[in-house]
Amino acid sequence: MTDIANSESALDAAARSAGQRSGAIMAARVAFLALFLALWQGAVEMGFANAAFISTPASVARSLWLLFAQGEVLPDLGTTLLEIAIAFVLSVIFGIASAVVLDRNDWLNRVLSPFLTAFNSMPRIALGPLFVLWFGIGIASKVVLAFSLGYFIMLLSTLGGLKNVDRDLLLMSRLFGASEFRLFRHVRLPWALPGIFAGLKLTLIYCSAGAVIGEMIAAKSGLGLLLQTFSGRFDVAGVMALILIVAFLVMTLTSLMDFSERRLLLWSRGSTDVPG
Amino acid sequence: MAEIDIDVRGLKVDFGQSRNALAGVDLGVTQGEFVALIGASGCGKTTLLNVIAGLVPASGGTVTVKRQPPAAGRSDICYVLARDALLPWRTVAANVEYGLQLSGVGREERARRAAAYIEKVGLIRYRDYYPAKLSQGMRQRASLARAFAVGRSIYLMDEPFSALDSQTKLVLHDQLLGLWESSGATVVFVTHDIGEAITLADRVLVMSSKGTGVVDEIRVELSRPRSAESLQADAQYHDLYRRTWTALKASAQ
Repeated sequence: MTDIANSESALDAAARSAGQRSGAIMAARVAFLALFLALWQGAVEMGFANAAFISTPASVARSLWLLFAQGEVLPDLGTTLLEIAIAFVLSVIFGIASAVVLDRNDWLNRVLSPFLTAFNSMPRIALGPLFVLWFGIGIASKVVLAFSLGYFIMLLSTLGGLKNVDRDLLLMSRLFGASEFRLFRHVRLPWALPGIFAGLKLTLIYCSAGAVIGEMIAAKSGLGLLLQTFSGRFDVAGVMALILIVAFLVMTLTSLMDFSERRLLLWSRGSTDVPG
Repeated sequence: MAEIDIDVRGLKVDFGQSRNALAGVDLGVTQGEFVALIGASGCGKTTLLNVIAGLVPASGGTVTVKRQPPAAGRSDICYVLARDALLPWRTVAANVEYGLQLSGVGREERARRAAAYIEKVGLIRYRDYYPAKLSQGMRQRASLARAFAVGRSIYLMDEPFSALDSQTKLVLHDQLLGLWESSGATVVFVTHDIGEAITLADRVLVMSSKGTGVVDEIRVELSRPRSAESLQADAQYHDLYRRTWTALKASAQ
């Protein structure tokens, strides 16, 4: 029993030193960013690179400021966010639901799996123009494109989690009298949760890419449309500013998911740590 | 005369192969009895247990448990697996409550009974720990608490202590005996450890390595309550050990 007490105090000590270290890590990150920006700005000013091609940190910052100061970007940002949100929610709902059905129905899984693989192997981005043809230049075609990417990621990562459930846990639950629903609720779903969370983050990233690329093909509004406009004007700083907005958006949403993941998967914390 | 709880007659099991896994097996266990099944690996002792639990269908003969045909998930039978099978995302307390939850016990009663059984296996300080942080022995104790908290009348145990070292085993034997004596349940305990079988059981049944069932029976008339540790120095215990060893050796020929 002392080994438990020891490992407890070891964990506490690890948490304390992690707290001290996180300040140093933050400082190193800021230093890294400053170095990168300085090199970039310096390269242009010293004449090693042309600002017309790679712009400069200062002009990207100015473009960002202008985009928000005039409120010009807000309707487009709203459109893109709406598309990402719809596609993400649909991907998650249908992806998880399909995974549950395919996991429980081996016959269906075997019938459908070559078709799923085939569709997932298609370059969906190349289908973008067709989606525009079928669903118009409104948000529907972007939602479909983003969904066609996100759905499969969600489906495959959930299915992967459900497929390798520990048989002993299922057997034990069944012998205690668990119904099929309770097996799912108490064993299969919690077991698949780490896989589902990994899928959620990837799905978000791919839904964002799908929405923006869809807008670049043909749209009435959206960050992708704006990107096309800026590229057409050779406004490199504007393009980079928009890409930064998308990246920041996805990072914010991903860290929200990380937060809920840490809370839900508290039990698995440190269980894959190996000493030495 | 106590009632027969488990009645197996002329049991035949085959797994779709030409050789039968079990053939012509008879077994009778009376109510409240603790029976240990012992035998060389591959003798079909776990298969026999699984037939009684309703996990493996019989291809011949009759099996009744409390006059009913066996079925998985029956509310009067509890099966304890070789591995602890604790849910890694539940704390010790929540794991012990899990069996009660699946048995349809209400929330408050669940918490009350789980706490009582966690106390009985000496894990009260660790009730809020996740299984990953516990030793193998502590996990198996939590598994025992979960099993006995539901208070069933028949317990089927498939080598629950086989992964433990001999010192930890003795502790677990005492705790199992304590849980069992206050429950009055019927137990069929599969093991390949002779000492374990004698320490725990009223009767040790030696199974033939050819799958033809029980070939020898050793009645263990050691007084109860027993203490696993003091039995180690008991002459009668060692005598029984020798007799079981001889029987086990004969069963393998």
